[in-house]
Amino acid sequence: MARVPTGEEREVRHSPGTTIDGASLALTIVLAAVVAALSFIPFSVMLGTAGSIEMSEGVYPLVGWILGPIAGAVASGLGRLVGVLLAPHTAGVPFVSVSGAMIGSFAAGSMVLQGRRRHWWIGLTIYLVIVYLLYAGRAVVQNGVGLWPAIGATFLNWSGILLYALPTRRWIARWLKSRHVGHLAAGLFLGTWMISGITHVNSGMITYFMYNWPEEVWLVLIPIIPVENLVRCLIGTVIGTGVIAGLRAIGILKPREAVY
Amino acid sequence: MKPSIETPAARSSDCRTEASAVFDGVSYLYPRTQEPALNEINLTILRGEFLGVIGPTGAGKTTLCLTLNGIVPQAFGGRFFGYVKVAGLDTLSHPVSTMAQHVGMVFEDPDTQLTATSVENEIAFALENLRVPRDEMRRRISWALEIVRLEGKEHKHPFELSGGEKQRLAIAAALALRPEILVLDEPTSQLDPVGVQEVFAILRDLNRTLGITVVIAGHAAEEMAEHADRLALLVHGELVTTGTPEAVYGDVERLNKIGVRPPQVTETFYLLGNGTLPDLPVRLEDGLRLLETWPRTHACQGAPCEQPARPAPPVSSARQTTTPLLSAQALHHTYADGTQALKGISLEIHRGEYVLIAGQNGAGKSTLVKHFLNLLQPTLGTTSVNGIDTRRLRMSDLARIIGYVAQNPDHQIFTATVEDEVAFALRHLGRSTDQVSAAVTRSLEAVGLLDARDRHPLALPKGDRTRVIIAAVLAMDPEVLIFDEPTMGQDDQGAQAILDITRRLHQQGKTVVTITHHLHLMPAYAERMILMGKGVKLLDAPIRQALHDVDLLAATYLAPPQAVWLARALCEADEPGAAALVTPEDVAGCLAGQAPPMEVRH
Repeated sequence: MARVPTGEEREVRHSPGTTIDGASLALTIVLAAVVAALSFIPFSVMLGTAGSIEMSEGVYPLVGWILGPIAGAVASGLGRLVGVLLAPHTAGVPFVSVSGAMIGSFAAGSMVLQGRRRHWWIGLTIYLVIVYLLYAGRAVVQNGVGLWPAIGATFLNWSGILLYALPTRRWIARWLKSRHVGHLAAGLFLGTWMISGITHVNSGMITYFMYNWPEEVWLVLIPIIPVENLVRCLIGTVIGTGVIAGLRAIGILKPREAVY
Repeated sequence: MKPSIETPAARSSDCRTEASAVFDGVSYLYPRTQEPALNEINLTILRGEFLGVIGPTGAGKTTLCLTLNGIVPQAFGGRFFGYVKVAGLDTLSHPVSTMAQHVGMVFEDPDTQLTATSVENEIAFALENLRVPRDEMRRRISWALEIVRLEGKEHKHPFELSGGEKQRLAIAAALALRPEILVLDEPTSQLDPVGVQEVFAILRDLNRTLGITVVIAGHAAEEMAEHADRLALLVHGELVTTGTPEAVYGDVERLNKIGVRPPQVTETFYLLGNGTLPDLPVRLEDGLRLLETWPRTHACQGAPCEQPARPAPPVSSARQTTTPLLSAQALHHTYADGTQALKGISLEIHRGEYVLIAGQNGAGKSTLVKHFLNLLQPTLGTTSVNGIDTRRLRMSDLARIIGYVAQNPDHQIFTATVEDEVAFALRHLGRSTDQVSAAVTRSLEAVGLLDARDRHPLALPKGDRTRVIIAAVLAMDPEVLIFDEPTMGQDDQGAQAILDITRRLHQQGKTVVTITHHLHLMPAYAERMILMGKGVKLLDAPIRQALHDVDLLAATYLAPPQAVWLARALCEADEPGAAALVTPEDVAGCLAGQAPPMEVRH
């Protein structure tokens, strides 16, 4: 039988000095360090711009789901910035890498916000559609890439945007909240696919404007990009399942905008 | 020469009549819990007071400390009832950064709060955050270092300091903010006894000369009795009583019921008077005075009072003929940074022994035992297990013979459930699922954690986390068990519960080696004591004899339990046979004409 204390119950607020948008500063720094550490480990080569794709790309969504949109973007952005500086072999185009990390975590954290932030996902979706049209449109209209190669090579991107725009976004969020490990893993896997698609279209658009790779490269990318993304999803699922289970078990205070 | 910087308390003209902090009907529940960690606390802490907060583990001492600067509930969330006001500020309405200017906080483990690369930078850190002008900052750093007696160490890296020095540095960093209240949460639990005395002496000095209000939570009964003006006794989150150390520690029956240890001197006279003595002494000096007037039977049948000659290691003749289980011969170890941690240690530990290794922080105790596990290799000399040089053995082979419970259980925990933690090594040894399950159940039963098998280990209290590691080690069924400071941060009941496990294992025929500073607990468990100081072996003797070698203990910054001082006083008062007395029961029994136990009865 629970004992309920008598006396005046006070409203408990987080100290602004110790949180970023309701997420503990310590947890934000820890996750930034995780992103920085994973930046050292390459898992695939980067076609068109050279260098390697690093493992931290698999956890940008996770960071957003744990910390929420603002603190998540700060953690991923800071972690990736440190990674870019200390691990040049995975830096790619530094600005693109850092902004991609921030957009990924921001989008993940914005999936199912409440109150005055509840429409953030709509703005983000409109932005992503515009970015996609700029990216694929430039390839088809300006650089003469065939329509089907462009659609095939951007499968990750348009599938990610669709998953984000449709009610699937809410289903994924529900799975991420689930205590059932299978549902949680499914949410992490699909969610990482979705968010990586979003991150990729944002980064892809900028780098494409810089490099304008020809149709031959688009054709090669058609099978490669989904396989690469499966690896991101596996990284996100394996790390995410353990981290979320651990955070729940330890009972650490959940950030205000956390999705898990 | 006393400090030139005024603290808020020192500025007050009549500090003892003003409230420094007020708890008004305070209750608090951590998130996702049903039971309050604090329940209906009403307490006024007066300015300039030295308040000790005592209670068993889980009583709410840490939570109470954390409410004083608003960390509870601002950083944790949960449900909060009532008001805490410090320096007139409501701790819920003001951010922690504001409260930190009034409340200096020092935590149990100094390593977790030292972040800078030099002593002076450590103190400057908080001042920089508060934008204190540079000249003022320099003045405060010098002042704080002088107060805690760390002058001349400004440029040292904090991790080059001893445990006591680190804790004093943490105090200096808090002090530089010129807080009204200094709150310390079990600041001495990781220190050797002399380190404990140093920290308490500094706190008393700060309290008396600067008028700083000191709130200290902990289990150091002897020091609390010596220095505190008032004690607050917490049990299950409730404030059971407040009063002078004499009033609180004098109620031995109540303390026994709730699992709080009184000072040994109090316990001794409680036993002597069969609980009827009205004014029990709580300080050693008072106990010694009372002892002078106590009627004698001259029937004490302990060891003779002459200072014992330094004895040979207590190895029975039967054991001498066998190969020692653990052996070190002329062992030297020098770390990569040039620190000579061991300087020619030679010792033998035989099958079935229970050995205590004691010594100051940094004496080389952990370094020594790590050689038996091949975690470290000798720089010179040899170590052997079962007669085989450890350098010829693989770490995995040694792990099957020797179970090692490290100082910090959190360093050995890495799975998501208690059951997985205990089963981890067995699964990697290729045992069948049934074998693993049986061993896990047996081990968890042995340490009393069967009900917690599905919980996350890090969600358990520290004592239970240590037990998880003990269970994991037990599951391997090793021949030797080495416990490195297993009682650190535990209250007496928690420490005894862990030591009782070690005793059961010893009774089952295991060889047990325990490293601890808690000397007062060990006569009931260990047979033999190896005393180390600065990398050398100072003494190897039966524990009752060793605890009376007060000069050698002092040489390695250890202080014998109060009962030993009482026994020494009896010796000086011509009470023959008081030299082997080491516990309150021994001393009380001696004065009542009973023979003390001359060996550990397992």
